[in-house]
Amino acid sequence: MATRAQTQPKPPAHKWGMVIDLDRCTGCQACVIACQAENNVPINDEKSFLDGRVIEWIRVERYWEGDFPDVKARFLPVLCQHCDNAPCESVCPVYATYHNNEGLNVQVYNRCVGTRFCGNNCPYHARLFNYWEPVWPEDLRNQLNPDVTVRTRGIMEKCSFCIQRIRRATRGGKKVEDQAFNPACVQACPTDAMTFGDLLNEDSRVSRMWEDERAYRVLEALGTNPSVKYLKQVDADA
Amino acid sequence: MPLTRRQFLKWAGATGVGAVVFNGCRVPDHEIAVQSPVEMPEDLVTGRDNYYATAAQLGTASEGLLVRVMEGRAKKIEGNPDHPVNTGKHGIRAEALLQALYHPDRIKRPLLRIAKGGPFRRITWQEGIERLTAILQAREPGQTLIATPPLRGRIADVARGFAEGSGARLLGFDPLGGDQVVREAARRLYGQTAQPDFDIARAAYVLNFGADFLGTWGNPTRYARGYGEFRQGARRSRGKLTHIGARYSVTAAAADRWVYAPPGSEGLIAMAVANAVLDGGDLPDADAARALTGGRGAAALQAFAPSRVAAQTGVSEDVIREIARELAEYKPALIIGGGPAAAQANGLFNMTAVYALNALAGSVNRPGGLIFNPPPRSQEVPAASLREWRQALTDMRSGDVTAVLARDANLVHGLPGALDATGALRSVDTIVSFSAFLDETAEMADLILPCSTPLEEWGTDEPNPGPGYATIGFQQPAVNAYHDTLSFGDALLRAAGELGVAALPWENMREATRALAQELHEQRRGSVVQPTFAEFWKRTLERGGWWDTGATADASRPALPQLPAQAPGVPQSADASRYPYFLAAFEGVGVGAGQYAHLPWAQSAPDPITTAAWGTWVELNPHTADELGVKNNDIVIVESATGRTLRAPVYISPAAPPQVAAIPMGQGHRAFTGYAARRGANPLDIMEPAEEAETGAFAWGATRVRISATNRRNVVPKLEGIEPARQLHGEELIFTHTPGRKSEQDH
Repeated sequence: MATRAQTQPKPPAHKWGMVIDLDRCTGCQACVIACQAENNVPINDEKSFLDGRVIEWIRVERYWEGDFPDVKARFLPVLCQHCDNAPCESVCPVYATYHNNEGLNVQVYNRCVGTRFCGNNCPYHARLFNYWEPVWPEDLRNQLNPDVTVRTRGIMEKCSFCIQRIRRATRGGKKVEDQAFNPACVQACPTDAMTFGDLLNEDSRVSRMWEDERAYRVLEALGTNPSVKYLKQVDADA
Repeated sequence: MPLTRRQFLKWAGATGVGAVVFNGCRVPDHEIAVQSPVEMPEDLVTGRDNYYATAAQLGTASEGLLVRVMEGRAKKIEGNPDHPVNTGKHGIRAEALLQALYHPDRIKRPLLRIAKGGPFRRITWQEGIERLTAILQAREPGQTLIATPPLRGRIADVARGFAEGSGARLLGFDPLGGDQVVREAARRLYGQTAQPDFDIARAAYVLNFGADFLGTWGNPTRYARGYGEFRQGARRSRGKLTHIGARYSVTAAAADRWVYAPPGSEGLIAMAVANAVLDGGDLPDADAARALTGGRGAAALQAFAPSRVAAQTGVSEDVIREIARELAEYKPALIIGGGPAAAQANGLFNMTAVYALNALAGSVNRPGGLIFNPPPRSQEVPAASLREWRQALTDMRSGDVTAVLARDANLVHGLPGALDATGALRSVDTIVSFSAFLDETAEMADLILPCSTPLEEWGTDEPNPGPGYATIGFQQPAVNAYHDTLSFGDALLRAAGELGVAALPWENMREATRALAQELHEQRRGSVVQPTFAEFWKRTLERGGWWDTGATADASRPALPQLPAQAPGVPQSADASRYPYFLAAFEGVGVGAGQYAHLPWAQSAPDPITTAAWGTWVELNPHTADELGVKNNDIVIVESATGRTLRAPVYISPAAPPQVAAIPMGQGHRAFTGYAARRGANPLDIMEPAEEAETGAFAWGATRVRISATNRRNVVPKLEGIEPARQLHGEELIFTHTPGRKSEQDH
């Protein structure tokens, strides 16, 4: 019989986090499509845009400031913030979403019964509901990533920080070098606006950027304590 | 007892409350372990993946790629970190190559039309090649026209050799004419035949005229790599970007300052900046200033005095002088131009003025400036000018060209509608298509020999612009051919074998690629040096190519020409009183000018500025919309002086200048797979077939239009509306940082 000491959870080996530098981001959408390719996100057809049912685990929000000629478009890539105090987790009646010991807000698809309470409670609108069964033409199914579950109608999905890549890199308790792997969005980002890594590793790039003077969390006042920070865009005229 | 829906919801509601109350309770570990999608049960064996390095030519862009393959199927594309052009990053179009490979509407085998206008029947490749050679043998030299996209690398060698050996004419087709005008300006100013690279990463200041280099122009992934460093690179201060152009593009949005300038006025503004730089006396390169002005300094550019140009263009004198001050102050400064600024009747004047500023700024072939590239090893097939295409269509109508061989050159969709490419192609006896998809031009074909996609092919790609030194990306098949297709090169080589073309001794593209590799191996220099060719071949394919940082361009250059003392007189496009708006057509971030409209990821990538996807829209200033009496989603009719019209819904943009109607290109296909057909409108169709005065390049930025309202509506598919367009007061999401105000946490 196991002793109590033996059943204590191990101290976390990692705390995954991300920093997005808005001064580098151009809103180019490369991250959006890279994520869809990696994570078997259904094709967002015209109807999904018209119905407001677009599924993008990461989306680039664009906000206008001012009017012509003193106008500015600002971009904000939004993904699941993997909050330490995640409002989505506490409302799930079936524990389909929980916080793991590496700082990830994990979604277990085959527990999800589709109440959408989590989506309702996410202040970042990062959770997306499958209103329909996702359909790919037979030929296009060849491209689907075998490491990622294809979700069905009636369940929630969202960014996982490409957990399949994390698992692959850390399988068997392997020590992971900083920048040895990245989520698909970070890997694609042409301007290197996104940085991913282990916040427990003080020497990691993401840890250094975490303390940058430009760093802030979106909707910080809510106290959700996200694992994603943004670096403010530099604007001499602001 | 069966669980009813009502009972379930009651239970779920109660559990939801319970979940909040007992938030601290843990889920049993065994449940999580079993249910997690990533921790597979022990008896479930995951497949092994392989990564293949390859390269792809994506229009004017080049990217080195890594393809993840499992069980013979390509799963994911990523940038090749070794490739000097994109260094591990990639764009939407590279990602979407997977969808080209597994596209449900690909042409799966050779097809022959039974009779003109009749259905197709399946044939074998043997029969297809025999018919192709018969078509060529039955014609006199020059009667066959081969139309392809601009080609680089080994396929360019093969296509050239085939055209010369078979007596066919070879013309490169790019709906927007490639970067012909920019190249001609670089040739006249600096004697360069290869397009220069831009060292954005090390520039302190970038002044850009028209080119959406962070969105769609040139090689955006490479330029974006530089831009990231330009903004926040380690051990450097933040660079400053000024964008001058008619549309608020991705590059304009990234810029510190966007200056609206009417299309066609870019050269005047560049000359005024030059005048002000010379006038200021603080010249980074006095020798260049002497050469460009014949030793007369600012007096030589008197016609371009800032005050005068300000009156002509509406760009204020203060702004012109401020830019001139910045050019002198920030070192190194890099000046870029292209896109709509080059696609004008006076495009060469514009680009000459723009790129001459690099000489004044002392940025030519220096870090942080314009970097020359060595000439490519394989002579490319460049995009032909509109003048040449106009002549080709005339030759089709007159019977001088009786056969057209088209490979991914969709003349019907890509040439201005007023030229009636459809009518010209109808007068041709035989059309052979090598396209992988049934686009509008392939639909007219008598014989279809479907080509494979880049992930199934052998070849090389020499980026132009390259990274400043010799670079050859090697392309290898990441997967076997998915359908009964051949690569374009393989089809030409098989036909060349039948025709006995001596210049093409290779049986297939693999052999042709290996022959080039053998030449590189014998040089014993560059990124791969191995004792044997077998090792060289293996290592080159593993790395995705060969590059030689020591093989740079010849640094000597001819004396700078003198800048013109006056702006050239150019024919005006349509009467401004009848056609009051500039048509600012722009490439879709995914679909380009229509070449990628068949790929669902390219279609669904929202336009960064409007957030719209899958369609065509007309961006109008709010005041212009008021004057026209239209609101968001109202359909308007846009008409050019050609009399041709398009209909599209309105997107009211706070960034749209009042005199501009900005419309994305890429849609308006009649065919080209189920994802592209019968969707939106094609601005190329209504454009005036105007030419740049000297080069004959397509002046696609020079069309004026008028707009009228209809009483119909069609909602623009877009993210905006799902997400708010402006930040909510008190709940701002995006904060900015002002240098020198470190302690401020917001705004």
